[in-house]
Amino acid sequence: MGCDIVTVSEDTKFVHLAWRKSEKELANVRYPMGADPTGKVAKMFGVYDENSGLALRGTFIINPEGTLFNSEVNFYNLGRNIDELMRKFKANLYMAKKSNEVCPSKWKDEGDKTLVNPGAKMVGKVHEALKG
Amino acid sequence: MSETTTALKLGQKVPDFELEIYDPVKDDFGKFRLQDQIAGKRWTVVFFYPADFTFV
Repeated sequence: MGCDIVTVSEDTKFVHLAWRKSEKELANVRYPMGADPTGKVAKMFGVYDENSGLALRGTFIINPEGTLFNSEVNFYNLGRNIDELMRKFKANLYMAKKSNEVCPSKWKDEGDKTLVNPGAKMVGKVHEALKG
Repeated sequence: MSETTTALKLGQKVPDFELEIYDPVKDDFGKFRLQDQIAGKRWTVVFFYPADFTFV
């Protein structure tokens, strides 16, 4: 889909290797597993927890020009929803192709209603735009 | 890379960064660099998590 995912934790690459090979739940993992033991990258993204030395559950979407488009950070106890990540990713990809459209809150996939050319004429008329 | 205390902002260019990786497809260690993604015109998702060998 023109996208690469890299996972990152403060574990070393050796721990990643060991985990990937021993845990059957990871058998289908084909993405690179990044090691950030110094915390440098986690700090840059603002997800480094000084108290624990661990990274919070943060997901960041970066476009092909290197611009940060999305960020989501959860505390340790709440897992991220992969469907939501896919939704955000698909929306970003779609809007990169259609620069005059924006994806409203109910947008889930290509083919769902978007707002086309949002501008002065749409002000106060979003309801009509979504229905029409 | 300069040390900065403020986290990245949306709409900002992400400074180039590099990570040592374990690559399950090659079954080997390697490097991930943001500049390689930009050179290849690829979208990137960076997914942080607390620790290996723990529970999702």
